[in-house]
Amino acid sequence: MSFLELNGVCKRFGDHVAVEDINLSVTKGEFISLLGPSGCGKTTTLQMIAGFVDPSAGAICLNGRDLGSVKPSKRGLGIVFQSYALFPHMTAAENIAFGLEMRGVPRAERELRVRDALVMVGLDGYADRHPRRMSGGQQQRVALARALVIKPDVLLLDEPLSNLDAKLREDMQIELRQIQRSIGTTTVLVTHDQTEAMALSDRIVVMSKGRIEQIGTPHETYEKPASAFVSQFLGKTNEFPGEVDRHAASPRLVAGSCHWPAPAGVTGPVTVTVRPEKVGFGGETHNGLKARITNRIFQGNHWLFQCETECGPAIVVRQNTGEAQPTEGENVRLVWRAEDMGVRPRGAGR
Amino acid sequence: MSRNGSLALIFHTVFVIFMVAPIVVVCLVAFTPEGYLSLPTNGFSLRWFRTIADYPEFINAFWVSLWIGAVSSVIALLFAVPAALAIARHQFRGREALSALFLSPLMIPHVVLGIAFLRFFTQTGLSGTFVALLISHVIVVFPFALRLTLAAATGMDRSVEMAAVSLGANSWTLFRRVTLPLILPGVVSGWALAFIQSFDEVTMTVFLAAPGIETLPVRMFLYIQDNIDPLVTSVSASVIVITMLALILLDRFYGLERVLAGHSDRGR
Repeated sequence: MSFLELNGVCKRFGDHVAVEDINLSVTKGEFISLLGPSGCGKTTTLQMIAGFVDPSAGAICLNGRDLGSVKPSKRGLGIVFQSYALFPHMTAAENIAFGLEMRGVPRAERELRVRDALVMVGLDGYADRHPRRMSGGQQQRVALARALVIKPDVLLLDEPLSNLDAKLREDMQIELRQIQRSIGTTTVLVTHDQTEAMALSDRIVVMSKGRIEQIGTPHETYEKPASAFVSQFLGKTNEFPGEVDRHAASPRLVAGSCHWPAPAGVTGPVTVTVRPEKVGFGGETHNGLKARITNRIFQGNHWLFQCETECGPAIVVRQNTGEAQPTEGENVRLVWRAEDMGVRPRGAGR
Repeated sequence: MSRNGSLALIFHTVFVIFMVAPIVVVCLVAFTPEGYLSLPTNGFSLRWFRTIADYPEFINAFWVSLWIGAVSSVIALLFAVPAALAIARHQFRGREALSALFLSPLMIPHVVLGIAFLRFFTQTGLSGTFVALLISHVIVVFPFALRLTLAAATGMDRSVEMAAVSLGANSWTLFRRVTLPLILPGVVSGWALAFIQSFDEVTMTVFLAAPGIETLPVRMFLYIQDNIDPLVTSVSASVIVITMLALILLDRFYGLERVLAGHSDRGR
């Protein structure tokens, strides 16, 4: 049951392909993120849903209705922009009431709904403030209230939190998620911040160079990245060159001085990937990569180790559990469970 | 604010004196009791202010100037606002050419414009009419109206308009409720500058003015060709006072800084 559907959507600006063949279906009430570096086509995709950019090919359907011929003003979508885009000459209440006015909602009901919206975003008492006399976070809330008060079919968020400082951004993430959960509006978020996408979304659409790299839950995309791009973009990852040797007595995967049973499906030179937090330190007898710790950085709740292994540089993250940790210059073995390891043919992906 | 050094202070003082001195001299001469241009040494007299009343053509010319200035700058803005919005936000064939055309009156000496308009209006039979004067002034002040409106339109955050559209605003509502209020400071500044430009214009207008539709500068210009007496100084002093009053009122009710600098910050 898809609510918002993008079928083969493309956008070309002259020779430049901004978005290529996007297929995506969003179910009602879902929170979905378009995640990617700048220039990956995520904002263009959002603008096509909003109607400010016409797709070069493909169709966008909302609730079974083709949006192709529907003007942006008639789509009934709520949008929150990166710059908030509040009307600077109107008060918070007037800003929020604007969409209701356009819909011809009678004054009494309008005032009631504006008040409810202000309460929802925690800004009761700020009705008569002008945006320039509000902080970034407050402006953000007004923008959110303005978009939600019209009860939009879909809420579009274009990097809404990127202008806030780190602490406020975390608070707003939680709040945004709560508000979205409580009213159940289908939401599409555009962001380049992977932690934001993971914290908020039901599903993440990872985009690169105008294409979708992977669609999945935050957990899936992190743990089972579909491509090298996804694994590098979502968090940090260690990569080592390896080799799958199927000529040995029992087929095995070799990287440096350690080996594992060969995984199915690949053979020849491979790249082994493993997340820094999945790596542990083992003794000399363990099946692990030989490594020397070049840097040990304390980061409060965790330790960050930079290591030089026999297969190139690596980073290791250990929780600060109070246990003794290896020191700089110490020789260790980096160990991890076989199931935490990703293996792909070398040169593939990127 | 950085503190000025003594050298800078002296320079600024000299500069201000240099700028203000002619105005002060004119205002002083206006109070002379003598029949010729002189600083009042034997006491002040309002004689030359009373004389203005004997020359109704000066008062008439003042009203003509006011009208021409007000109407031509408003008409110029009626064209400048759409033009500025189109130029600021759309890429279209001939955009640069159009922009250059709109600003071209700045590049042509007003004497040349005056002769060209005289010839044109004579051919079309409009010569010596209020309409002719108005058209010529609209064209001359247009670049000023356009420049400031354009600056405001270019600096505007487009996503504000997108937000309004997404909330259901149609084009007219969008313009009336969002776009115009946002560029209003630029529009008002453009209007003020255009008005001043029109009110001040003499080189071109002198070719187009006819008895009964002379602007004040033209009337004064013609007067000093034949007479050398302090009447023009008293007229000038009156205009200065009226201008100052207007500026004070403007400052009270709208804020002078916003008019002159086109600030978008609406201090309410």
